[in-house]
Amino acid sequence: MSCIYPIGGGKGGIGKSFIAANLGVLLAKQGNRVVLVDLDLGGANLHTFTGMPSVKTGIEKFLDKTVIDLTQVAVPTEINNLSIISSVNCSMEIANLFAAQKLKIIKAIQKLPFDYILLDLGAGTNYNTLDFFLSSNEGILLLTPEPTSIENAFKFIKAVYLRKVRQILNQREFKSVTDCITGNDNAIEMTARIIDAVAENDPEKGELLRKQLTEYQFKFIINQFRKTVDAKLGEKIEKVCNRYFYSKFHFLGNVCYDERVHESIYSKKIFINKYSYTVSAIDLSHIVKKLEKNRLAGRLESIGSHE
Amino acid sequence: MNNSEKLNYYELLEVPVDASFFEIRHAYRDALLIYDEDSLSTYSLFPDEERAVLLKRIEDAFNILIDATKRSEYDEQLVKSGKLKPSERLTRYQDKSIPIFRTGSSAEKNIFFKKVQEKVKESDIKSLAEEIIAKELISGQDLKKLRKAIGIELEEIFEVARISISMLKAIENNKFHDLPSLVYLKNFLKSYAEILHLDSEKAVDGYIINLTLMQK
Ligand SMILES: Nc1ncnc2c1ncn2[C@@H]1O[C@H](COP(=O)(O)OP(=O)(O)O)[C@@H](O)[C@H]1O
Ligand SMILES: [Mg+2]
Repeated sequence: MSCIYPIGGGKGGIGKSFIAANLGVLLAKQGNRVVLVDLDLGGANLHTFTGMPSVKTGIEKFLDKTVIDLTQVAVPTEINNLSIISSVNCSMEIANLFAAQKLKIIKAIQKLPFDYILLDLGAGTNYNTLDFFLSSNEGILLLTPEPTSIENAFKFIKAVYLRKVRQILNQREFKSVTDCITGNDNAIEMTARIIDAVAENDPEKGELLRKQLTEYQFKFIINQFRKTVDAKLGEKIEKVCNRYFYSKFHFLGNVCYDERVHESIYSKKIFINKYSYTVSAIDLSHIVKKLEKNRLAGRLESIGSHE
Repeated sequence: MNNSEKLNYYELLEVPVDASFFEIRHAYRDALLIYDEDSLSTYSLFPDEERAVLLKRIEDAFNILIDATKRSEYDEQLVKSGKLKPSERLTRYQDKSIPIFRTGSSAEKNIFFKKVQEKVKESDIKSLAEEIIAKELISGQDLKKLRKAIGIELEEIFEVARISISMLKAIENNKFHDLPSLVYLKNFLKSYAEILHLDSEKAVDGYIINLTLMQK
């Protein structure tokens, strides 16, 4: 069973690619088979975080049918067990992917033969990003400890929910529920209203919706953490979100800000390799432990359910 | 998802029904740190009006649960409406006169509270405290003077109340630029005053009024 972790978050430049790459390296070093997938179509740069100046092949070859299996464009990195599927060679228009192509990519990702599949997503809340984020039942939300980033994260959650609802309802049902919400509704209010509206017309569907949202899990990481920030911020967010949203929220940890991150990118070195004893590196390794535990728990559960 | 209006006061503050007053105070402070308008953790999550309602409810929960008589009436309501089993209902809450930060977990803290308790009985300390609390305006210096007279170190307050030394210094020196927003400040002052065995309500009011006048 593979674990797919899309890494998203409203804002650009908060460290999604940095976190994806370094978590990937650490997971691979633990002996897991890992693949990084760069889905920041139009802004692909994940390969640079793994110390690669360029990659020869990638998603474009899968889309133009040069290869039929996405696994064939997974390029090995300098790290054992770690491959990357890049989109750096995709043409610029690829940012406006056709729905069918998007679906094809998602289906192929879900079949990739790896233990961990980390998806690096672009900024914003366009449908591509949201659909890639929803390709798994658990997504990692990245934020930084600033009001703007927190606001973006809550907006992202709202957008993810709305998209998820869209996937579950048919067009007519969706239209009727969106009529009852306003753009100003916050995420909490919006979901409550949607579920109420659906349940009123069709109690069974309402229940299904509630169940699906409940089964979805947001994991989140606070990046670029600084000493001056409230050390309990993540726990507080986790607590509030678990209280007010349907889904489960799981705080994975803080990753400290470190000047040397920038330096490592410049010198085209993998941060976690070059600076493995920094606070940020240790933060990342704690997160990796949690992810491995999570995968183990998932496996035990699936074994249990087959008995 | 839970709607705050559907939660009873214990659920709202996330404390068990047999929580001590100590636990309730802490839970209240934690809740304020999350839901206060300055809190980063809920930034933009609630519209202003909704946040105000939420804070009001937290305030109400605290006011009821911290008062033995009101809490008992509230518990009775919960039992009547079937939200609390009669067997779960406490007949007696942990004594209210116990200083709030006495956790009982550490012998040192108990020694500290005993020491303070003995000391405040002394007549000169008593009269100093009465003199201060009788004033309409109470300054940080007044608090500091009393603290020194009792013989309490800032570190000791930090140990029992977990208010940082720099914050305590800002309070004692009326450094309003370094002080937090009013909700937090009131809580800090309250804890501080309680450690000095001062009437906390009067002390907080006197301090805040003084601070407001100083800023003008
Ligand atoms: N923990 C960190 N400490 C210091 N700088 C960081 C950290 N995380 C990210 N950065 C900086 O932020 C920049 C943007 O990171 P990136 O991963 O490209 O963001 P995104 O993929 O979200 O757009 C990087 O160039 C890096 O210098
Ligand atoms: Mg990126």
